[in-house]
Parts: sequence; C-alpha cells; structure tokens
Amino acid sequence: MAETKLVAETRTQFGKGAARKIRRAHNIPAVLYGHGTAPVHITLPGHSTMMALKTANALLEIEIDGTVQLALAKDIQRDPIRPVIEHVDLVVVRRGEKVSVDVNVHTEGEAAPETVVTVDSQTVELLVLATNIPENVVVSVEGLVAGTQILASALELPEGAELVTDPETLVVNITAQVTAEALEAELAEAEAEAGIEKDEPESADGEGAEGDDAAKGEAADEA
Amino acid sequence: MLIPRRVKHRKQHHPGRSGAATGGTTIAFGDFGVQALEPAYVTNRQIESARIAMTRHMKRGGKVWINIYPDRPLTKKPAETRMGSGKGSPEWWIANIKPGRVMFEVSGVPESVAREAMRLAMHKLPMKCRFVRREGGDF
Repeated sequence: MAETKLVAETRTQFGKGAARKIRRAHNIPAVLYGHGTAPVHITLPGHSTMMALKTANALLEIEIDGTVQLALAKDIQRDPIRPVIEHVDLVVVRRGEKVSVDVNVHTEGEAAPETVVTVDSQTVELLVLATNIPENVVVSVEGLVAGTQILASALELPEGAELVTDPETLVVNITAQVTAEALEAELAEAEAEAGIEKDEPESADGEGAEGDDAAKGEAADEA
Repeated sequence: MLIPRRVKHRKQHHPGRSGAATGGTTIAFGDFGVQALEPAYVTNRQIESARIAMTRHMKRGGKVWINIYPDRPLTKKPAETRMGSGKGSPEWWIANIKPGRVMFEVSGVPESVAREAMRLAMHKLPMKCRFVRREGGDF
C-alpha cells in the first residue's frame, strides 16, 4: 500500500476551545504516539487527511518540523451526522515491523441459486508488515451451496500475513432463501399483528387490533 | 411486534431528546443502513412497518437487521379526563432515537434494491433519515 504524505504542525494549545479553533480552520487535531515515545499533539490538514483515511489501514508519512515518521490511524473520531473527522489517534510504526490490523473481508462470485450470502465477520485481524498491509481479504463464494460455512482458518491470506482472529470464527455463512410461501405467511402474520391493512381505509378491525396490542403490552408489564 | 417481556417500572418519565447518538452510528452488520438525522420516538408499530416494507421490496433475497429496540413505555390519559388522579396507562412502546443512529441494516442485495427498500422504510419512520453505506465495503 502506498504511503500518503501529510505535513503536520505541533500543537501548543489544548482543550476543547483550541480543538474547535483548529476545526474551524478546516484542520484536524491529532495525537501521535507509540514505541515508548512521548505523545506528540499535532494538527493535520483537513481535506488531505480525510482523503487519505478513506482507505482502510492507510499508512501515513507524517512530517513534523522536518522529521518524517510512519504512522497508522489507530482511532478515528467522526461526527455522527456531518462528514467531518473530529480527531485522529496515530500510532508510530517502523519499516519492517509487523502490526496487527483489521482487514475487510470481500466476497466475490455468485453463490448457488436460492441462497443468501451473509458476511458474519466483516473484518479479520491479521499480523502483517506495516509497509505491506492488504486492502482486503477476498473470499470466493462461487457456486457454494446453502449450509456452507467459511471459517477464518479457511481464508486465503495474502503472502506474509498471519491470522490473529480465532481460527474458528465464522466469516461467511451461506443459507437457503426462505420460500415465497413462508415469507408471505410471515409478512401477512406480522401485518395482522401490527394492524397494517392494505388497499382499504382503517376500519373497526384495525382499531380492535390496536386495542389488542395495548392490552398485550399491559399484560407483558404485569408479568 | 417488538415488546419487552417484563419491565422494572411500568410507567416511566419521557426519555430525554437532546443531543446526538453516542453509539450505533456506523454500520455494524450489513452493507447498507438507514441513519436518523433528527431525534424522535419510534414506536414498535413503526419499526415493524418499516421492516415489512423493506422485506416486501427485497422479497426473498437479503437480510434485514433491526438495531433499535422499543424498551420505553409512554403513557396516555383517557380522553375527556380532568388533570390529576395519577399518571395515565401505558399506551405505546418506543425507542428513543437520537440523530446519527443507524436503525436498520440490510445485506445481500444490490445497492439499487437496498436504496429503494430503505426509501420505502423511511416513509414509515417519524423523522428525517438518510441512506448510508459501509465504509471500506465492497460497494
């Protein structure tokens, strides 16, 4: 994976006031630590950091006052609504060092007809060289039938990678689709219970169903 | 319909509606999700209605996750009743949703199908919502 270069400035003011001032200037407050060094509080350029962190496990080259350090994003705090990064924790890594990272699982191919492919573990933890982190682990589900389960131990890992996740962890599960009749029956029952009526205005039956639900709720409370 | 089996207190205060969600703001299980953009009380009927709308559109393919649970009771006094004489009787079960919360997730269907299913589901919900995708996913 290519390294992305970011020019950072050291921070001298701390706290929420100073952090908000940095965010108003479209920058990101961050902290860099690891390998027994003292934490360094820095400011990263907003847009280029955001673009770099779009790639999972991006290796960053952080330039602080002329010195360059390799780092991985350990934790990214994002605003839950706006597409804004609020803070980044960076951990120092060295070339040739092995690091433990969560790598996305990617499925390819088409499973057998009448099946549903569910990725139960969206990531697997791997021990890999910091300079050679794979973008994803590919799992082929081509032609697999219902009932097939792919465990972490069965994954084809990239060269040099070691599995850290428990080998018995279920990664991909292939199940049979529900039959059309079973689905229709389940939905009809759910609609009846919720008092949902189709193609007809609300009638006395609907109110009755509502009353039943309320009564059921009270009964559940008292139990 | 989702309903708690037993609760410690039958009649609770109204849950607070200020602030944003502090957890459950990213997609955890599926590939696509519905994220709340406003605070709201979502009833168990609305949750079930949204689930049915999504499942009907996706037909037999795909899987739906419901990430919220209506564990708070709301009470109501009967009509034409004078004030006082104690708190009303439990009427609804609600989930207290804050902005940013991912309420539903789906997987196993193409993005176009998921978008339409979630658009239908959003019409059943009492707040503004948006469609979100997994970061670093296959899509």
